[in-house]
Amino acid sequence: MFKLNLKIALRNLWKYKGYTAINILGLSIGLASCILIFIFIRYQLSYDKDYTNGNRIYRVVSSWKYVGASDFFSQGVPRPLAPAMRNDFSQLEKVAAIQQSEGIIKVHPRAGAAEIKVSEDVYYAEPSFFEIFDYQWLFGKPNSALSEPNTVVLSEKTANTYFGDWRKALGNSINFDNKTDFKVAGIFRDNPKNSSFPLKVVFSYASYNDRNSKSWGAVSSGSECYVLLKKGVTVDQLNAPLESFIKKYYVDKGPGKEEHSFQPLSDIHHNADYGNFEGSTTPYKQLIGLGVIGLFLLFTACINFVNLATAQAISRSKEVGVRKVMGSKRTQLIWQFLSETSMITLLALLLACVLTELAIPAMESLLNENSTFSLFGHPIIFVFLLAMLVLVSFLAGLYPAMVMSGFSPVLAIKNKVSAAGAGGVGLRKTLVVVQFAITAILIVSTLVVIQQMSYIRNKSLGFNTESIAMVSLPTDSLSQLKYNSFKEAILGETGVERVSFCNEAPSSLSSREMNFAYNSSKDADFQVNLKFADDEYFKTFGLKLIAGTPLPKSDTLKGFLVNETLLKKLNVVHPNEALGKIIRLNGHKNPILGVVKDFNNTTLREAISPIVIFSSKNNYRRLAIKLEAKGMVATMKAVEKIFNHTFPNDIYRSRFIDDQLKNYYHTEQVMGVLFKVFSGVVIFISFIGLFGLISFVATQRTKEIAIRKVLGASHLELIKMLNSTFLWLVLIANMIAWPIAYVFISKWLSNFEYRISLSAWPFAIAMFISMLITLLTVTLRSYKAANANTIDALKYE
Amino acid sequence: MMIELKNIEKYYANKGVKSYILRHVTTSIKQGEFVSIMGPSGAGKSTLLNILGMLEEPTYGEYHFMGEDITAMNERKRIELYRNHIGFVFQAYHLIDEMTVAENIEAPLLYKKIPGAERKSRIADVLDRFNMVAKKDLFPNQLSGGQQQLVGIARALVAQPSIILADEPTGNLQSAQAEQIMDLFKKLNKEENITILQVTHSEKNALYGNRMLTIEDGVVKEDVQIK
Repeated sequence: MFKLNLKIALRNLWKYKGYTAINILGLSIGLASCILIFIFIRYQLSYDKDYTNGNRIYRVVSSWKYVGASDFFSQGVPRPLAPAMRNDFSQLEKVAAIQQSEGIIKVHPRAGAAEIKVSEDVYYAEPSFFEIFDYQWLFGKPNSALSEPNTVVLSEKTANTYFGDWRKALGNSINFDNKTDFKVAGIFRDNPKNSSFPLKVVFSYASYNDRNSKSWGAVSSGSECYVLLKKGVTVDQLNAPLESFIKKYYVDKGPGKEEHSFQPLSDIHHNADYGNFEGSTTPYKQLIGLGVIGLFLLFTACINFVNLATAQAISRSKEVGVRKVMGSKRTQLIWQFLSETSMITLLALLLACVLTELAIPAMESLLNENSTFSLFGHPIIFVFLLAMLVLVSFLAGLYPAMVMSGFSPVLAIKNKVSAAGAGGVGLRKTLVVVQFAITAILIVSTLVVIQQMSYIRNKSLGFNTESIAMVSLPTDSLSQLKYNSFKEAILGETGVERVSFCNEAPSSLSSREMNFAYNSSKDADFQVNLKFADDEYFKTFGLKLIAGTPLPKSDTLKGFLVNETLLKKLNVVHPNEALGKIIRLNGHKNPILGVVKDFNNTTLREAISPIVIFSSKNNYRRLAIKLEAKGMVATMKAVEKIFNHTFPNDIYRSRFIDDQLKNYYHTEQVMGVLFKVFSGVVIFISFIGLFGLISFVATQRTKEIAIRKVLGASHLELIKMLNSTFLWLVLIANMIAWPIAYVFISKWLSNFEYRISLSAWPFAIAMFISMLITLLTVTLRSYKAANANTIDALKYE
Repeated sequence: MMIELKNIEKYYANKGVKSYILRHVTTSIKQGEFVSIMGPSGAGKSTLLNILGMLEEPTYGEYHFMGEDITAMNERKRIELYRNHIGFVFQAYHLIDEMTVAENIEAPLLYKKIPGAERKSRIADVLDRFNMVAKKDLFPNQLSGGQQQLVGIARALVAQPSIILADEPTGNLQSAQAEQIMDLFKKLNKEENITILQVTHSEKNALYGNRMLTIEDGVVKEDVQIK
């Protein structure tokens, strides 16, 4: 029986080749999108899952609550926290501090290999870190390898690059920052790509200079602390001891209220409030968003299927009737139709796998993920494919199967099953409305995302961003002595307009904040953002002064410049009022020299911070070089040469501000592309779905069309008649889509402090596009119907 | 008694006005009879056949099929009857277009859950009897009307029913083909003792049977035996 049904199903699919093609094409594109989304989500959810004690590992994180300002979060903890916690918490089996740093690694020349000099992210870790996280050790033991100062453990790949083969690394040493030699005491296997811990070079914590710091007031995001709970201890049991812990150690009252919490390991990759060493998080919100889009796509494709199947049902009513009088049960018929649907789904799924394979490279480059996605890498993907097959077969097949198997045999045999009986014209119309509503929502969203992104790209940040390169400087005291000669040498190059020493560009993701007092002995109730810069900073970046004078030429602090936001927060109305007032900051007491016009100091998602700018040679990290637009590449080559000549022990690193700014919005750019692709897919699916449906309607109404033609209707009138129903549906769909799209979009836009105001345009355009598509499809198909030979149509029956 | 009808009525109520299709139809049909139902268009012949075939339900009245009350019968029982006792032959043949001749004949056997080997032998048997072995792999649209109707009858017969219900089996056929079909019915009735009930317009066809029921305006007008 099954074999026969299969055969019949295939013959039926072949008989209605057009509809089959539409079904399979639409479904496979929808399925392929779903598979891609699933592969991506699976990859994101697989982060940090490989540790034996994973569910007992927590990271201690910090937050500060401010009155009247937003909370501040940090993945780091004060340096004395780890030892204190080890001492005070009996519930913890292990506590480990790990410190991130960066610097220049040198591997001394060996026989047959030149000296290696690279800039590298490095870590200082306590031995217990490797007891909490079970790494695979190729050599050495976690607890002994890092117990002494000046030892280092390397990852297998790193050791291979440094020494050719990790076995040769043993007993050798590497040099860090031109100061200390570290002896290689262990080799561990590299973490997989889906890890928040990209550890390559790990020094013993005993070699870390600031390890004994007693400062509870300073937190660097690079100082993390991991704990392993004792078996049977839940994280809730730690709340009370943590509270008294905080009370015990935080005795100096700052403006913010310090808090700590235990963040589960599984949360580290998904919580955007805190960062991680890998530097990337994908919040669950994003994954859910993608999942919803995937469901949307699948749903639209299924709607095509239901629409076409129920439309086709009439032509199969006779078969149903005959089978019923031969003694077929309804359930048997339902299974027969379901098996047909599964077959189509299976074909679509196979095609979808091909499409997925084709799309994977594009996805990798879009997401910039340093990893490879694959269709066959994980058994769970097969489970997903199977689940999709079953789900889609039922979602798309069950309703048509119910309808068709429910035909009354008498009517079916007499060919009297009407369109209305076959699943209801109403239902099909509803489905079309849903489909076009989804399409309209995606079109509106895409338009708004594109608009917002171009707004951000083009918004003036309040300073000059074009053709400015930031060159990182070495910061040891010996190098600092060479700063001036370096600057003079660079200024001597043709193509260099201005240079300025500073710690960061006006806009930067890394920031330093500090308590301060304005014209009083008491600290203000908020912190300021510090920028260190020399006298050339203003001209180099084209910042504008609205009162007072710019910074004087000086290597040390003579006075502060503040921005408008700072004054606003202090309730100072006129900028001139602030001039000469004393600011106390980090032990310095100096007057305000000038007020700078507000500029955006971080991403446009956030508001402008209160900022002070002042000179401090010890804090300069970069040289900003303003170039002439012509010949930038050649100039930068010359700059590199001068750098390598001046700082032979260091590594040249430079970056253009434009690129740096673009990088702020990587997520949004990816989202923009995804939206464009997926709304394209949805438009396509709806388009072919509509085409299929209108073809069917046209065939069904052939006789009516013929009669109308005989009665004197023109082609145009006929096309208009067929169009009007569908245009109404699309109009209604848009009406439904608008409020939903509005809610989504305003929620997304509220992520940005600087955003476009929503206009009616995206909505109008979405309607226009969907109307146009409908008009095109329906006209295309109905023209053919209207042109058909009248006599042929009327000869039937 | 094969079929017993008592006071069968069928009407459609529309805005309080009843339009009768059948009125007070009371009759019985014995095993082995060959009954022709005659009458003008719209008299209610097809409705009567549909009721007999359990495709429609009477508004009122009693219907016993092989001693069982049909009106009280559930869906499953009825499907059992279809599978084991009733074969249908339609005016428009109603073969399944996507199936070959052999497959069309096989379909009812599948529903009867007859094992594969027996299915094969029965199909071969029927094809042989109807001289259609050469055509077994053709699709219905590759056959003439008469041939299609032969397949329709073969399909009805292969499940070895006790009664064949035929709604104008020759209505779409030319007279030569029609004669062939009617001869076949007569032979089946005589040699295999299969009860046959046909609706027909043609008196000539009716004479092949051994009893003639004439219906006019929903009422049985005449019930004559033919010698």
